[in-house]
Amino acid sequence: MAEKLTIGVLSQIRSFVRDPVTVVLAVLLPAIVIEGWGQAISNMPEMPTVESVPIELARIVGATLGVALVAGILGLVMIIGARSADRRLVVVGYSPSTVLVSRLLTIVGITVVIAVINFGVLSVNVSAEAPFLAVVFLALSGVLYACIGVLVGAILPRLFEGSLVIALLAMMDAFLSGESPLAADVPWWVEYFPLYHPKTLVQDTMLDGTYAMGDLLFVLGYLAVLVGLALFVFQRTMAVEGRWLR
Amino acid sequence: MSGRRTMTMFRISFRETARNYVLVGLLIALPIAFITVAFAVTQDAQMPIELPIDGETQTVMRGLPEVHGVAMTPLTSTIIAGIVGLLLMQDARNVDGRLVLAGYRAREVILARLGTLSVLVTLVTVVTVGVMAYDVRPEQPMLFVLAIFVVTLLYGFVGMLLGVVFDRVAGLWTILVASMLDIGLFQSPLFPMGEDTWWVKILPGYHPMEVVFDAGLTAQPDTLVHLGWSLGYLFLVGTVAVLLFYRLTGGQQTSRLQVIP
Repeated sequence: MAEKLTIGVLSQIRSFVRDPVTVVLAVLLPAIVIEGWGQAISNMPEMPTVESVPIELARIVGATLGVALVAGILGLVMIIGARSADRRLVVVGYSPSTVLVSRLLTIVGITVVIAVINFGVLSVNVSAEAPFLAVVFLALSGVLYACIGVLVGAILPRLFEGSLVIALLAMMDAFLSGESPLAADVPWWVEYFPLYHPKTLVQDTMLDGTYAMGDLLFVLGYLAVLVGLALFVFQRTMAVEGRWLR
Repeated sequence: MSGRRTMTMFRISFRETARNYVLVGLLIALPIAFITVAFAVTQDAQMPIELPIDGETQTVMRGLPEVHGVAMTPLTSTIIAGIVGLLLMQDARNVDGRLVLAGYRAREVILARLGTLSVLVTLVTVVTVGVMAYDVRPEQPMLFVLAIFVVTLLYGFVGMLLGVVFDRVAGLWTILVASMLDIGLFQSPLFPMGEDTWWVKILPGYHPMEVVFDAGLTAQPDTLVHLGWSLGYLFLVGTVAVLLFYRLTGGQQTSRLQVIP
């Protein structure tokens, strides 16, 4: 069981790393998004009734977006790979739970790496009060978007179309949920966007070293629902001849 | 005969593109998501903005929603056009060479593809400016539409160039990042970064975006020189794109000659 799990995780990591686009994105996007978002929002001209946003806050939103983008693509890549491979693995003797756990472990493992890279880029200009918690909350926002990537991939099982949807979703999410003097009149339902509470958690731990339990519970609840849906989607990819293999 | 074949190819190419549900979805969803939402959520405040007025750059106050809406319109149109150009070049790599092998001339195929790109860019311009006009009218509508068309077509060609170098997914991300940085950040007066440096001025969006903001937010045209430079840039990028397109499609003819004993 453990050996099969290790093989499964390693092969999935290898298939993700083998694609140069995902690797380049994982390495380059943090710098582009964190600095791009940070400079953009903080350079807005001063306006009488509009409160300016410190560059640190804008960079933190950029880091959350950077993790979400790459993790979303990761989830998409995983579900597309699962459609072509997991059923065969089950047919040749892998247990569905082993395949499922290896997929989830891969998603969590790579997302943590992405979160560490983004935190590293962020730390160049913003010092963290609680670095470990900041990485954990960045990774949480990544896992949320990885699950969204899985769900998008279930509906649009193509890398081009799926990654376009994820990119636009994540950018809209970050724009409306994040610190932007432009998007000040955001409606109440924006609070239910995937990045709204994770962004608050990362921001609080980076700048104050604390966090609100309400935000964390909200994110965990959100995560539970999305992980449940992602598991359901992964399980369906393993159905053989209309039934689940045991 | 040649004209009829080009028209047939154009019709097929247009139908093929219109059948692409990603592009149709983008054309419907992106303007609403980017432009209408920008108007809806931006707070109603006045912002200082540097604009060319009577031949001089002056700092004037304009409504934040108006400036944001004017900035989001070319960003939306260039993302869509870049993806259109990218997909056209990908199709050219997959299909057009075979058409040339089957007897089509490379110039017929290229003319048809350029016709498709032009029609789609016109459509994208009409839709994005139409969605923007629902919330705010540009001060100089004709010049504004022309500037949006030019920057959109320019990014259509940029998409074609990227389609030569990258595959679909890498090209998509490059287009997204390039549009966001060039049109959405470096050329936008919402996020001024001080005096424009030389590398900002050589980006594709520099000259047309000067015209976009002039036409969108001032009553008199003061950036016709920039419009001239934009057209020159468009010609240059378009020529390079066509030459590469020709190499991709015309190359098939050469290989046919080589295999015939």
